[in-house]
Amino acid sequence: MRPRSAHVEIAAANPRRGGVVLITVLIACVLILSAQARARGARGTVLQSWILSLSAPVAAAVGSVSHGASDALGSTLALFSAREENERLRRELDARERELFRLRAEALEGAEDRRLLGAGSALPGVLGSVPILLVERRAGSHSVLIGAGSADGVVPGSPLAVPAGLVGRVVTVGRGVSRAQLLLDASAAAGARIARTGELGVVRGDGHGALMLNNIATTSSVARGDLIESAGIDGIYPRGVPIGRVAAVSRGSKLFLEIRVAPSAEFSRLTDVLLLAPSAAAKESPEAGRSSAR
Amino acid sequence: MKVSRIALLIAAAAVLEFLVGRSPYRAFVPVDWFLLATATVARGGDFVRAVLTGAAAGTLEDALSQPLIGLNAFAKAAIGYALTIVSVRVVFGGALAVGAALFVASMANEAIVALLAALLAQSPVVIFTRDAVWRAAATGIAGGALESAWNFPWRDWWQRRRLRRLR
Repeated sequence: MRPRSAHVEIAAANPRRGGVVLITVLIACVLILSAQARARGARGTVLQSWILSLSAPVAAAVGSVSHGASDALGSTLALFSAREENERLRRELDARERELFRLRAEALEGAEDRRLLGAGSALPGVLGSVPILLVERRAGSHSVLIGAGSADGVVPGSPLAVPAGLVGRVVTVGRGVSRAQLLLDASAAAGARIARTGELGVVRGDGHGALMLNNIATTSSVARGDLIESAGIDGIYPRGVPIGRVAAVSRGSKLFLEIRVAPSAEFSRLTDVLLLAPSAAAKESPEAGRSSAR
Repeated sequence: MKVSRIALLIAAAAVLEFLVGRSPYRAFVPVDWFLLATATVARGGDFVRAVLTGAAAGTLEDALSQPLIGLNAFAKAAIGYALTIVSVRVVFGGALAVGAALFVASMANEAIVALLAALLAQSPVVIFTRDAVWRAAATGIAGGALESAWNFPWRDWWQRRRLRRLR
């Protein structure tokens, strides 16, 4: 690791030359950052898109190796708890069978109600499942790299979800890999509504792994445990997808409550996500996504 | 350090990022591999290469995970320079010292990125999160372990082991 000759050591340890290079690099970085900050659209930068496209084969290959290794590790760990798991699953199966009989009976009765409720909400179109290749949480920024790109029909603004709830949206698209912003990101926001009361607000990531529901008046009857779902008013996320449940309500400023929301999706254990069809507004205007990002 | 080795280091860091990133156990090993690559070059005492390695590794990291390219490049170039100063000017060695330096470097990286993002992208300033501390600790531990492994007299150990077997 150390330079071999004394001459090389003296030349290498010249901080003045290093300082000049450092200042040049830092100035270049600031210039690049400034250019992007002004010109960046919802599609991300071209350079970012290129690097994402170039990294796609590596990401896919390494991702499959990692997935295989994780599966092997999971299988080994599962062997230890297989017997207890078996017993528990049998009990669960019995319970599910009883539940199934009950639900079948109720299904006929509730069919008409469900048809009406279903007609009132725009169901999100699931395009498919995509793997998560990389998760980055740094300085309030929460983003993921997903293993699908423009070749798979991904467009900027495509919402991502898991069965439990909303996850985020795609911001930069490469050919085989895309970058998505999670709802937990300190710059992310989504139009939301309290399912019980119907009040509309804005859910924002706090950058620390939780969500805050803003713009709910102090006169609201929102309570701990209330379900928060997407309102479909931001032109990005479809309506009616769960976001989380109210974890704490406190009186914030004079007009609005401070509502902390526990996310429905388990962000720490994301391995695959569902890609939803982008909203019509996002398709028409690529800049639509920016309103929810900042 | 040769340029080819530096390129290999950065590529290895990217592969490790993906390898850990795809795993559901990623939360347990949030090591900043790009910072380790920068620190490895800085340990050689060459200011120019440390700065350029930091910038290259940071740019790659930004392209993969940040809304703006240049945030981590800026931070890692500065950290590369600072770590080279520490490496050259301070009597510096041992797993604990390396681990501590990397912990501080990782937290500094976080702070620089947060401040730049706040200035240029109007993001809220989020610096000392639990994630950040855990990442810094994991990076410090990984760096300390690598330093120990690098300095361990493997050849002597292997010869002693062989002799013990022969007896």
